[in-house]
Amino acid sequence: MKHPNESQLALFAGGDLGFMDRWRVKQHVSRCSSCESEVQALRAASKQIHEIAGEMPGDLNIDRNWDRLAEEMTGNIRVGLAAGEAIARFDRPSSNVRPRRLGWNAGLVVAGATIVFATAFWINIPQPQKDHLVGALGKIRTERLGKVITNHPAATAEDVVLEASSSGIQVKENGRTLSLVHPPADLVTVSVSMRGSAGVRYVDADTGQVTTNRVYYAEQ
Amino acid sequence: MPSSKTAIARALLPVFFLGVSFAGVAPKIDFPKDSPVAVLGADPGDSSETPRGGAMLVDLHTALTLRNSSQRHIRGITLLVTAQDVTPGGKGSVTVNSLDIGPNETFPIRVDLRLLRPLQAGSGAPVQIGLDGILFDDLSFYGPDKLSSRRIMTMSEYEARRDRKYFKSLLAEGGQQKLKDAMTASVAHSTDRPNLDVQMVRGGRATNFEPEKNVQFAFLQLPDSPIEPIEGMARIAGNEARAPRLEVKNKSERPIRFLEMGWILRDGSGREFLAGSVPAELKLAPGQKSQILDNTTLKFPQRGGSQLGIEGMTGYVSSVEFSDGTVWIPSRADLGIPQLQRVMAPSDEEQRLVQLYVKRGMKALVAELNKF
Repeated sequence: MKHPNESQLALFAGGDLGFMDRWRVKQHVSRCSSCESEVQALRAASKQIHEIAGEMPGDLNIDRNWDRLAEEMTGNIRVGLAAGEAIARFDRPSSNVRPRRLGWNAGLVVAGATIVFATAFWINIPQPQKDHLVGALGKIRTERLGKVITNHPAATAEDVVLEASSSGIQVKENGRTLSLVHPPADLVTVSVSMRGSAGVRYVDADTGQVTTNRVYYAEQ
Repeated sequence: MPSSKTAIARALLPVFFLGVSFAGVAPKIDFPKDSPVAVLGADPGDSSETPRGGAMLVDLHTALTLRNSSQRHIRGITLLVTAQDVTPGGKGSVTVNSLDIGPNETFPIRVDLRLLRPLQAGSGAPVQIGLDGILFDDLSFYGPDKLSSRRIMTMSEYEARRDRKYFKSLLAEGGQQKLKDAMTASVAHSTDRPNLDVQMVRGGRATNFEPEKNVQFAFLQLPDSPIEPIEGMARIAGNEARAPRLEVKNKSERPIRFLEMGWILRDGSGREFLAGSVPAELKLAPGQKSQILDNTTLKFPQRGGSQLGIEGMTGYVSSVEFSDGTVWIPSRADLGIPQLQRVMAPSDEEQRLVQLYVKRGMKALVAELNKF
């Protein structure tokens, strides 16, 4: 036969067990003399405490304040349980409650602003800087993503480039440009030196002077 | 009522958003104190500075007025143009050859340039104009010579003397009619000569699409050239030519310190044009061989019709400088070789004389030839 433990017997003695436990312990105590004597002892002790408390001054009477303390504790426990439930519901929203769309709206606003900014930037950026940007992006594509197109290193806008045409000459570097232009002339000669210079020669119509404009690489 | 600061800000708004031009862009002109030419004035002309997106476009048109303060005649002058904010280390130059400026005479030089520089660049003068060199009629030179102006202007002066002598001989032998025929032929030659746009990139290829092949140089042998081209090769891909490699030999009896090879390209239809020149500074003793290497890429952008496809190459010696400073240039007879005649530009002096003939007639040309 399995005896109820000490806590169950104490609660039974005070009438604080639940219905099923109380019935089960009561059945056991009615057949078990040792447990019955234990219950009797607990009830005697409880009675003795109540008698001692009754002799205290009125404002310290435990018996009178006991119920009030129990009500306050019960109330506090209920408040705590209600708060816990509320927090748990906040952390794990129910699946049948639709989430608010604030995140998507914010994303759309940011995306729209980005598009407007990028468009304005692209329209206003000078062509050399645009070339530089395209070249840099292309470099990322070919070098960082590993999509190799050729065995040879491709020239990008970052390289120094000399350009010579009958309308003028220029040196381009990192999206910056230095151009030497000349007035309209009949006999214009373009020349390029592999040492790193490009030139345009023309005859000035006003002065008759033969003028040669050149641009150079940095190292010369 | 808006404050004065607000009013100023509102007035400046169009400047930033609509690109209204600023006037009064002036270069910094810095000539050495002992320079044989003095700057009398610098007219800023229509120079302007205009915001363009995130950059500043500087249009600079300056006419310098210079005076020869030396006692010798000036034959050529080179101005160095730098814009460190724009192309750190990159620079430009303006050279005027075939001059005859006597002592105390004044002369103008125009500098027209365009810069695209960042907005955050320094607030000082965007461009500095300095003196790189002056060549006098006795072939003496003054200047820092950072751009090898001495050699370039000396070569030009040699060509000028050769061509003046040639045209004078025509005038002496056949009179004005023969001179007139030569001028007419020169004008026709200048008009017919193909003139292509060129892009030059240091290092790798400019594009990646065409298969590349090695093409051997053919050489024009000029009889009295001190250099004998032996063999050469370059890499060709579509409209690009790069990395020329040439082997040459000094067949003269004097050491050589500089040479320049002309580079003629031929397309699929047999049309030839002068692509550029391959210069080399070297020490080449008599009888010695040397290789000239370069890792530059030339690209000839499509203009108008179909893309240029390079099929063949020809090289020739265009100038040589000996260790003693004297130079060799092709003779008028060498320039008469049809292949050279088709592609080579006339000298500075010939172009100036032709222009003088076209604008002012035979009498002015004869007077000019008789000056010196």
